[in-house]
Amino acid sequence: MRMFFVLSRLAWRYLWRNHRRTIVMLSAIAVGTWAMIFMTALTRGMVDQMIVDGISVIPGHVQIHDPEYLDDPSVNNRVAFSDTEIAARFSDAGFTAWASRVRVPAVVTSERESRGVTLLGIDPAAEKSFSFVDYDNVDGRFLEGPDDKGIVLGAKLAETLETRVGKRVVLMSQDPDNEIADRGFRVVGLFHAEMEATEESYTFVGKHTAQNMLRIGDTVTEVVFLGDDYRDVEPVYNKVVGLVDDSVRVSRWTEVDTYLGTMMGMMDGFMLIWVIVIFLALSFGLVNTLVMAVFERIREIGLMLALGMKPSSILGQILIESMMLLAVGLVIGDFLAWATIKPLESGIDISVVAKGMEMFGAASVLYPNLDINDVILSNVVVMILGFFASLSPAWRASRYEPVEAITKV
Amino acid sequence: MNIVLRLAWRNLWRHARRTWLTIGAMVFSNTLLVFMISLQFGMYGLMIDNTLQVFSGHMQIQAPGYKDDQKMRQVVPKVRPLAAHLRQELGTDLVSARGWAFGLASSEERSYGIGIYGVEPEFEARVSNIPGLIAQGRYLEKEDASEIVIGETLARNLRIGVGDELTLLGSGVDGSFAAAVVNVVGIFNSGVREIDRNIAEMPLGTFQEVFYMNGAGHQVVILAPDLDQAQALQQRVEAMLPADDGLVVHGWDALQPGLRQAIQADMSSAFFMYGILVILVAFSVLNTQLMSVLERTHEFGIVMALGLRPGRLGRLVMLETAMMGFIGLLLGALCGALFTTWFTVNGFSYPGMEEMVANFNLPGRVYPRATLLTMFAGPLVVFVFTLAAATYPALRLHRLHPVEAMRTN
Amino acid sequence: MSAVRCIDLCKTYRQGDVDIKALDHLTVEIEKGEFVCLMSPSGGGKTTLLNAIGGLDIPDSGEVWIAGERIDQMSKGELADLRLANIGFVFQAYNLIPVLTAQENVEFVMQVQGVSSAERRNKSFAILEEVGLKGLEGRRPAEMSGGQQQRVAVARAIVSRPELVLADEPTANLDSKTSTELMELFTELNEHHNTTFVIATHDQRVQAYAKRLVRMLDGRIVDDVEQHAA
Repeated sequence: MRMFFVLSRLAWRYLWRNHRRTIVMLSAIAVGTWAMIFMTALTRGMVDQMIVDGISVIPGHVQIHDPEYLDDPSVNNRVAFSDTEIAARFSDAGFTAWASRVRVPAVVTSERESRGVTLLGIDPAAEKSFSFVDYDNVDGRFLEGPDDKGIVLGAKLAETLETRVGKRVVLMSQDPDNEIADRGFRVVGLFHAEMEATEESYTFVGKHTAQNMLRIGDTVTEVVFLGDDYRDVEPVYNKVVGLVDDSVRVSRWTEVDTYLGTMMGMMDGFMLIWVIVIFLALSFGLVNTLVMAVFERIREIGLMLALGMKPSSILGQILIESMMLLAVGLVIGDFLAWATIKPLESGIDISVVAKGMEMFGAASVLYPNLDINDVILSNVVVMILGFFASLSPAWRASRYEPVEAITKV
Repeated sequence: MNIVLRLAWRNLWRHARRTWLTIGAMVFSNTLLVFMISLQFGMYGLMIDNTLQVFSGHMQIQAPGYKDDQKMRQVVPKVRPLAAHLRQELGTDLVSARGWAFGLASSEERSYGIGIYGVEPEFEARVSNIPGLIAQGRYLEKEDASEIVIGETLARNLRIGVGDELTLLGSGVDGSFAAAVVNVVGIFNSGVREIDRNIAEMPLGTFQEVFYMNGAGHQVVILAPDLDQAQALQQRVEAMLPADDGLVVHGWDALQPGLRQAIQADMSSAFFMYGILVILVAFSVLNTQLMSVLERTHEFGIVMALGLRPGRLGRLVMLETAMMGFIGLLLGALCGALFTTWFTVNGFSYPGMEEMVANFNLPGRVYPRATLLTMFAGPLVVFVFTLAAATYPALRLHRLHPVEAMRTN
Repeated sequence: MSAVRCIDLCKTYRQGDVDIKALDHLTVEIEKGEFVCLMSPSGGGKTTLLNAIGGLDIPDSGEVWIAGERIDQMSKGELADLRLANIGFVFQAYNLIPVLTAQENVEFVMQVQGVSSAERRNKSFAILEEVGLKGLEGRRPAEMSGGQQQRVAVARAIVSRPELVLADEPTANLDSKTSTELMELFTELNEHHNTTFVIATHDQRVQAYAKRLVRMLDGRIVDDVEQHAA
């Protein structure tokens, strides 16, 4: 520890001996760090929002289906036990929120047009807390209960169908015997969503109304559960698994929407690669700086060795110097990143490429997300890699023979 | 060799390690730039080709408003004669007429809402690669046969195969009820998720009959020999359209606005990353050249005392930088080319990539596209920034005072 | 027990194509409290001998004993500890650590030894006063004259009261007044603390202070005489 202080003081002084070089290197590290964190915050913000939006459509972090359903989302593949049974099993199990629903492909037809949609038969009260529809931001009204006889469409779909609140549309699907199951509905509300595709794809009707129309009695196609954090769904998953048997399949959201699941894993991978690439680009300059710093004080190193300093202390001194350089650069870079991201947190409008972002599954306003874990990870990675990159010049410095070093001019 | 060149060259190697480290930074960045840019252009090319050649073509003639609303009654009247006329006038076969309707497709067991295209069997293969992607059975043959080809996923969901019957329900152009029973003659596999799940094609003649089209269709698809000629061809087509019909021609980026925007969004984030890499290299060069100038202060003082102007010394420093940059450019382009070529042959992929890029109609393995531009664009930018970074050390020489400089050690 | 004992030392350097015998079967013994001056023309082997005694350089053959311990087979780490504890070094001028102040340079060795900061401070102030640098403790080497710098180096060498001080051309680069002052300082330390001094030099002014003169030529001792200080 004592040695550490001795070496630290020497290292710090030496760092500022050639202040120009140190400042240039610090600038490089700061810019690199800024870019690491800034870029990660933007991407993290985008991906987080994609996932949150995506999950809100799924919805829920864990779902129960018939084992066949995800491959073949048909009314024939319903959850094995009745809705009454479902309520009995899950109501008092202490889930943050859960809902059972009917979800099947259907065709909606107006006087003018037909479109394919996903029919959702829901109990609006059960999923108010996690629905992607803001019940209060609906033209007209949202469904009032599982027995509501009305239908709620996306605003964009209504436009295509040339229909509006108060008009009638026909919903067509199939019953379990593959007979056409259809029914007329009055449009009671139009919802708005972040992405056009969402408004075009989903229609809401009451759960009991849907069950009647599809002639499926007291059954549903899925049960959805909300956890506290979409990044860690294992507690909910395990709890649900404990409450069901093999007749149904329990899936995490990452399995329901593999694109989103991959995105989340990819995000961490991308971030690590980006941090490493920047570090490598910096490492040449870092090693160069250290080589120069050692070169210009070979004599002094020889002197310290002659005075009785151990080679390991010389090694330590150069390493500490390198770590100090990196640490100061990182702090400046972190601060720059923070200072540039904060004002952008209210959102960056990228609607010029909205259609393109929709292909990614992302919205047209980007909210950078400065995640403390990302900051810590990038800083730690840089320090660790920096340590290893500095080993070679530091090792060389400690291998000088005192006599040769001291006579070197 | 010229003495100045020789001097610059020898100066460069006084600190061989330092010079190589600086060149190393350049080579690292250049290799990465060459590879990334080649990969990017390879991906964009594939994205455009896949998206356009699967379906939308380079341009389409449509009724105004059809692009956004896709309503049945927004028709192109007498669509087949129009297509025939264009083929004759343009002297090309790459023109085909289509109709599109939304309908409910029912098999014995299942019903799904799908998009049904009416196509000209004879010409569809010229503008779309779906006819060539038949995995089972055959493509459509006769203009008025009651047959249909469907995507592989759709076939699986409907639980039908080649030879089975499919019932179509929908509404005609006038809103009346439309129905038909058709034979599945082929199943295609385009590799594009949405298309394989949602699309069926039937002969345009039959389509017009089923949906009461009265000889009309919804689009005439035209393909240019290649993407670069699309613009010019579009102008010719526009001039050819009968003025009184009020039809419009949409280019590919209007038909697929997401495609261009996705490319733009991707490019801007990529260029941000490239920019950072280039700046980090520039810092590395700045540091090296600053050191190289500072440590020669004494020497420069002597030659200035002998009567050499600072400007000439500045040019010497720039010359050294240019030499170093040039080595970095050549080695970087070479490494980049080798690296890229390997992937051009073997393709580039990473775990999860297939999920990621499917949204952009890309396969799970992409091949970078190496051209002279992708090979040298990055390295040349790095070279320019290298020179720019050396101007500060070079200009510093003007502040040098010979006597003081000679006194420095 | 001798302070320094060298037995049959050999050391050969290769310079270009020529082998140079820096030490050629050299044997010498120095008792505690002696004030020895090693003299030779340049290349005569005096620096090599000094380095061998200080454990900075390992002879090809022969034995080196310091205070009863054989050092020529010690590891680098053991040698470092030996120098730290028992030997003070004074090199040619400009051998201070440039980023440390005069006082910090003096404290450096003690700090590495692990002496407490209060003690370091007291000792370094005292020793700097003793070598006549009172008031200059906070200066960095670049802010001092050559003579002042060399005094700091001496202060550093003797601050932990080593039994043996080795000095290689300590007066090179110094003017004659400063040289004289430095030698008087050495003599005083030798007499007061019974510190053994071995000084390699070809400076006539230095020889005048020596109590024993050892002349070397081509790696051998050609003359070894006691003399009374001037």
